[in-house]
Amino acid sequence: MSMHEKQLNNDLFQPAVRSSDDAEKITKESTSFWQDARRRLFENKGAVSGLIIIVAILLLAFLGPLFSHNGFDDQDTSRTNLPPRVPVLEKVGFLGLDGVDIRGVDQYKMKNQKDNYYWFGTDALGRDQFVRVWKGTQISLYIAFLAAAIDMVIGVAYGAISGYYGGKTDNIMQRIIEILIGIPNLIVVILMILILDPGILSITFAMVITGWTTMARIVRGQILKLKTQEYVLASVTLGAKSSRILTKHMFPNILGSIIITSMFTIPSAIFTEAFLSFIGLGISPPTASLGSLVNEGFKSLQIYPHLVLYPAVIISLIMISFNLLGDGLRDALDPKMRK
Amino acid sequence: MAVVEREKLLEVKNLKKHFNVGKNAVLKAVDNVSFDIYKGETLGLVGESGCGKSTTGRTIIRLYEATGGNVTFEGKDVHGKKSRKDLKSFNRRMQMIFQDPYASLNPRMTIKDIIAEGIDIHGLAKNDKERMERVYELLETVGLNRAHASRYPHEFSGGQRQRIGIARALAVDPDFIIADEPISALDVSIQAQVVNLMMKLQKERGLTYLFIAHDLSMVKHISDRVGVMYLGNIVELAESDELYEEPLHPYTQALLSAIPVPDPEVERSRERIILEGDLPSPISPPSGCRFRTRCPHAMDVCASKEPKWLEAREGHWVACHLYDNELNTENKQQ
Ligand SMILES: Nc1ncnc2c1ncn2[C@@H]1O[C@H](COP(=O)(O)OP(=O)(O)OP(=O)(O)O)[C@@H](O)[C@H]1O
Ligand code: SF4
Ligand SMILES: [Mg+2]
Repeated sequence: MSMHEKQLNNDLFQPAVRSSDDAEKITKESTSFWQDARRRLFENKGAVSGLIIIVAILLLAFLGPLFSHNGFDDQDTSRTNLPPRVPVLEKVGFLGLDGVDIRGVDQYKMKNQKDNYYWFGTDALGRDQFVRVWKGTQISLYIAFLAAAIDMVIGVAYGAISGYYGGKTDNIMQRIIEILIGIPNLIVVILMILILDPGILSITFAMVITGWTTMARIVRGQILKLKTQEYVLASVTLGAKSSRILTKHMFPNILGSIIITSMFTIPSAIFTEAFLSFIGLGISPPTASLGSLVNEGFKSLQIYPHLVLYPAVIISLIMISFNLLGDGLRDALDPKMRK
Repeated sequence: MAVVEREKLLEVKNLKKHFNVGKNAVLKAVDNVSFDIYKGETLGLVGESGCGKSTTGRTIIRLYEATGGNVTFEGKDVHGKKSRKDLKSFNRRMQMIFQDPYASLNPRMTIKDIIAEGIDIHGLAKNDKERMERVYELLETVGLNRAHASRYPHEFSGGQRQRIGIARALAVDPDFIIADEPISALDVSIQAQVVNLMMKLQKERGLTYLFIAHDLSMVKHISDRVGVMYLGNIVELAESDELYEEPLHPYTQALLSAIPVPDPEVERSRERIILEGDLPSPISPPSGCRFRTRCPHAMDVCASKEPKWLEAREGHWVACHLYDNELNTENKQQ
């Protein structure tokens, strides 16, 4: 047995020398919080698909209208209510993209439009629905951008001032927020419509007045918490000015919460605009918004379902993808907040 | 120990810090605390959780505004209005080490930026190269290596983080450091490492420490003198050997009796003084002597009269009626 033949003696051993330097060595690669967060985000399938859909919709919203030679408000009564018809795909019967309507009539043939292709069909005034849907999406994206900008500028600044200065300032600022939250959104919008006109401007103003309160509260809470953190106290004892404490210590630590919060404000703002347009308080014709398109198509839902289908699908996709991305960002930026 | 004329570095007189909690309720976290700290010494401050040790330290360093009393550092008033320049020079001379190594380093900053914060604020380095040299030097001073400079706090252990916190404080070359329970969040095996580092730095740089802790055994090792706090008051202050051998205040006696002795013979016969009751609320502390609700020697006077802060023996101060000779002779005469 070879095991028995080998006698263990001291010569076989060597002392394992550990210098004190080795003891403190960290072999793992150094990663910053943001590198870690990015890795976590890209590992999340939902978030990645959300991101891809958002990018795709963004591109289509601005490039889509260029594919058609029709403007979003070009009317033509000779081509009203055409169902969708897409080259190549028209040959695949079950997709229903062959220009045949729900009663089995080929509308393109009937209305002498045999050479034309309207990918999303046309509406009751003969306007190209493909262009109108992407124009409407542009409005939704404008609202998304606006909501995020208002959150970042007004909400963050308001919350930071309130939380950082505290005391009486905080007290007054918080009472103002409570009053704003107490007024229903719809009332603010209606008031704005009375002063201005229905349209994108009144929705914008209504959002500027009330849209930032959630963000302000979250930022304030975070700042209040950070104020008593020992690393902030350490900075104070070193003699740091307020500007340094805010920019070096507080903002980098609340940026995650800010991003997460605006990721959830965006879809709700988009939905609010669509809803207002749907009930006729938002965008007025001929401008299209996803909400007003659904409203128009809604009247003839049973005969021309394509008029409702496309805007409804797009708005759902936007909502779902923002929520997926928001969830992913929350998990990536703040693992403690995970449900 | 020979009493040499020692130079006072810090004088705390009747320091008060009250917090307003809710309507009309005042929490007297620190109430009439007085002590001196001499140049080059370590003053230990011990007491149960919530007795106001951190508040004392934070008020001294101006993190909190004092409600009353005053603090003088080298003859200059610490509190009160100051010009930016005075404030800056004060910030450089007095520094603090914090309790929680996981909360005292900004998770979004690299170690080099954390350590260099004081250098940046006070403009102590002319250029980036000099700044990095200082950072490396400080890292080596606290027993870490250069390679750590570009890492983030979450990659370090508690003991390492605490040493980074020490390096940050040292970056501005302070004379006086308030260490607020710097080791209580660490493993026992790491505690000695940090304490030894602090003692080494003290020797090399002539630092003065206010060392806050909640157990007496570690404080004894590092402190020259020890003050014992109870409910916002200092109840006893003495040279640490003297305090351990002959504690005068009943509260100190109880605290000391709870420390196990590393000798089985003594340990077996050791008598423990078990304190009755809980720590009273600092919002409505007991009248007279604050310790009377739990004191085994409480007398009638204790409820009506606040004990005076007396030098019972040379350099051994205590606040307890048992050692108030005036009061005792009064009692005998009656
Ligand atoms: N900012 C504050 N506002 C109100 N009360 C406070 C504040 N800071 C401390 N206190 C109260 O003051 C008292 C003393 O607190 P302090 O933190 O000084 O105790 P401590 O001796 O350091 O205790 P520990 O050993 O737990 O650190 C406690 O009752 C605490 O609740
Ligand atoms: S003053 Fe009275 S109650 Fe207070 S410690 Fe002394 S004996 Fe006890
Ligand atoms: Mg404390």
